[in-house]
Amino acid sequence: MSKLIATRAIRGAHKLVSRAEKELNQAIKEKSAQTKVEFPNTGYFLPISHGILGMKIETFEGLKELLEEAKKLLPPIPDEKLWVPYLGHALDAGMATLFADEIIEAIKYTQNPLPYLPETNPTDEQLWLGAANDVIMRERGIEFVDGTAPGFAACVGYCPTNEIAVKIARELQEKNLYVFMSAATDGKSMAQQLREEGIQMGWETRLVPFGDDVTATIHSLGFSTRVALSFGGAQPGDFQRVLRYNKNRVFAFVLALGPVDDEKHAQAAGAINYGFPTISETDIDQILPTGICTYEHVVSPVKLDKIVSKAIEVRGLKIAITKVPIPVPFGPAFQGERIRKEDMHVELAGQTKPGFEYLTTKPLDEVEDGKIEVIGPEINEVEEGSKIPLAFWVEVAGREMQPDFEPILERQIHDFINCANGVFHMGQRDINWIRISKEAKAKGFKFKHLGSILHAKLHGEYGKIFDKVQIKIYTREKEILDLIDVPRQVYQQRDARIADMTDEVVDTFYSCTLCQSFAPNHVCIITPERSGLCGAYNWLDGKAAYKINRTGPNQPVKKGKVIDGVKGQWQDINEFVYNNSHKTLEVFNAYCIIEHPMTSCGCFECISCVLPSTNGIMTVYREHTGMTPIGMKFSTLAGTVGGGVQTPGFIGHSKHYIGSQKFISAEGGAKRIVWMDKALKEEMEPILRELGKQQGIENFSEMIADETVAVTEEEVLEYITKKKHPALSMPPMF
Amino acid sequence: MKTIAISGKGGTGKTTIAALIIRWLKEHKAKPILAVDADSNVNLNDVLGVELKDTIGAIREEAKTSAHKLPAGMTKPQFLEYKIQTSLVETPDFDLIAMGRPEGPGCYCYANNLLRDILRTISTNYQYVLIDNQAGMEHLSRRITQKIDYMLIISDPSVRGIRSAAKITRLIKELDTRIREKYLVLNRIQNSVPQQVKKAIEEEGLELFQSIPEDKKLLELDQNGRPIGHITADSPAYLAIDQLMKKLINS
Repeated sequence: MSKLIATRAIRGAHKLVSRAEKELNQAIKEKSAQTKVEFPNTGYFLPISHGILGMKIETFEGLKELLEEAKKLLPPIPDEKLWVPYLGHALDAGMATLFADEIIEAIKYTQNPLPYLPETNPTDEQLWLGAANDVIMRERGIEFVDGTAPGFAACVGYCPTNEIAVKIARELQEKNLYVFMSAATDGKSMAQQLREEGIQMGWETRLVPFGDDVTATIHSLGFSTRVALSFGGAQPGDFQRVLRYNKNRVFAFVLALGPVDDEKHAQAAGAINYGFPTISETDIDQILPTGICTYEHVVSPVKLDKIVSKAIEVRGLKIAITKVPIPVPFGPAFQGERIRKEDMHVELAGQTKPGFEYLTTKPLDEVEDGKIEVIGPEINEVEEGSKIPLAFWVEVAGREMQPDFEPILERQIHDFINCANGVFHMGQRDINWIRISKEAKAKGFKFKHLGSILHAKLHGEYGKIFDKVQIKIYTREKEILDLIDVPRQVYQQRDARIADMTDEVVDTFYSCTLCQSFAPNHVCIITPERSGLCGAYNWLDGKAAYKINRTGPNQPVKKGKVIDGVKGQWQDINEFVYNNSHKTLEVFNAYCIIEHPMTSCGCFECISCVLPSTNGIMTVYREHTGMTPIGMKFSTLAGTVGGGVQTPGFIGHSKHYIGSQKFISAEGGAKRIVWMDKALKEEMEPILRELGKQQGIENFSEMIADETVAVTEEEVLEYITKKKHPALSMPPMF
Repeated sequence: MKTIAISGKGGTGKTTIAALIIRWLKEHKAKPILAVDADSNVNLNDVLGVELKDTIGAIREEAKTSAHKLPAGMTKPQFLEYKIQTSLVETPDFDLIAMGRPEGPGCYCYANNLLRDILRTISTNYQYVLIDNQAGMEHLSRRITQKIDYMLIISDPSVRGIRSAAKITRLIKELDTRIREKYLVLNRIQNSVPQQVKKAIEEEGLELFQSIPEDKKLLELDQNGRPIGHITADSPAYLAIDQLMKKLINS
């Protein structure tokens, strides 16, 4: 940390502590050491000394003890020639500052008339409210706990103009934050600026003027200390708990407006103890490395029009929008609603017009949270019954955001939009389709509200992942066609990533027990490279199904310790299969046909089985009704394989699995296929050809016999010998 | 939402009656209506005068066989729902969905499971759902069609017809489907119900709910390939449907 900023904070602390000492001595001289001190109508003594040190100060005598504590904490002002680590010193100086503040403010309450109005709202005569009384604290503090108000902005100093002051106040109010104002600079403060503009202030409007003295800033931290004591279960004196509670639960920060003097630096150092960072308009030294606060400690200079969003970002504040701001009802109950053609005002994208939905990540400073633009006509500019294009271009930014999350967030667009009454959404990516009803339009629903839904819901459900989101809604063909190639390319890249996914790169597979109703001991284990044997379910489906129904037939199964990577055997998978097959299957190999193969229910698309004399296997599709070289038709074979029983040499599987790199890979893979029914062979031809090529075999599919050339094992052997099938030169299967 | 299902053996005029009921619902402002063509042999859409797009059967087949060809990142339920929503034929008064060809061999548990959910959701958007069922009642046994309020079992006025109507009634009982009321309807009655038929109805323990007379106008429309809905309101068959529906709604 910079020596400069530490020096200023420490110097400020020294100034405030000596001011406290002077004023306290003066006060004791004028009154007596036994003079009572308290913040009116509070049951927590003086909150900082009570919360942090466990002190119960009731008189000037007590304040003297507190002064001693402050002095003990005061570090020396850094030497001009000597450099030492300063963070610890600055934090101590900050804490000493808070004690000094509390002494000075407590003395004020012994004066007559009171410099503060201990009420909820200011009057024309008295602007400054000082410490919140217990009624206010209970009423308002609970909002910090239940999330109604995420936190507060302690605003010190003043803005260049009254307009800017109003704008910043409004911006903070919109985020449900409290605005605590104190510390005038050169006699000017933000609260006075708001008053000049006739803005209503007080606890009810969340714009709270504490005091014009720099020491009045203590009422912010006093308030949050009391929140930790009364709602956070912290015991007085358990300073770690008080401070940690504030860091984790109260999303507060200091906005330094205008020039920042030593005393304000000292206040900032005090706030850092609570995990509250300072964002400054003017150029002061920054404290960027993280440590006490969630992210940076002091950030500057920040332009005033960006200062609120920067503060929110630095504090790691997650904006929760409890009500989606649209003129129609919103909720999951409206998800199944279809807008009939007869009832619709407009159809967007769909079968006749272009469109897409795309979500991408941008750097934090390129995203303005909540910005929604409609590029093209709005709903009132399109005729009833018309069909127009539509594209969502959503940009998110966040410190925790990863490109892998993009498709997950993007897919939510469907669910979110569908929750609006009178809005129908289908599809995703470049096959999106939306309808908006006449009724919704009549209630004032606009295209821009589609953006409001996304903004509110993305924050609500995925706020952990990102901090800001802005949305562009295109309703004109030209722009959409100009842009559409960008998302399409990304869709392709994402698909390729999924296609390239191997069993090794994931640590979790999914189970499927949908078929246990008629094969009670069967458990499918679906891996990225082995889809469910019915062919209907792949790994992603399993994952999605689990997300939707946590107790459904698809459960995540951790692989656990690898027992045999080649055969495909994992400790935790074995355990899961054992427990869910009613303790009938102890061992299972995902990539084997002979040794402990996966069981089948009866739903399989294909059956593969060993033809011993050929050193290979045959694969038959379930629609093949003729005889096969093993001497059984599909229906008879199915009886042998199904029912959740392991039959060495026989497996049921999906068509898709034939093309997988993990198709009986422990025993040599697809190269072992010596016979297939013709229809299946034709369908799989391109895949077989490709698999052959990878192994340096030209025209592999031609080497595979089918029912037109062989229906007995002898005929198969004869055929493949003639064709020099690779299986013949492979190691024996068993 | 009320669901009316029509079943009976082939050739008894199920589809014609379905079309007449839709016409009646339209006229009585009982809108919107979802017509479900669940009989792969007859085409309700022809009789209603609309063109079919995709069928559920074709969509199901596609979903089942193309596990690896779906747009990646789109889950199967979403894909199916998208396809089904697109396949809906839309008219101002009613929308039509067609079940299409029955299942091939293989396991349909998963596909049907999804279909059931999707169809249930879609149908909640309508005041009336009218299902033209297949004789074998495949969709009922597969539980694709959900709760049914009124089941009309259509028969021609023949003893054999009554026997198969009775068989359907028993099948329904056995399947334990959620059907609230079952009604026997005799179609194409010339003059009056023959005595032997009356006797057969009695023997089977059934009760005649409504008879619908043979109607030359219907025949004409049919022969010219024109939609049944064009029939005039005073034609005898339509008057019988009017009676039937009034009894049904008030039951």
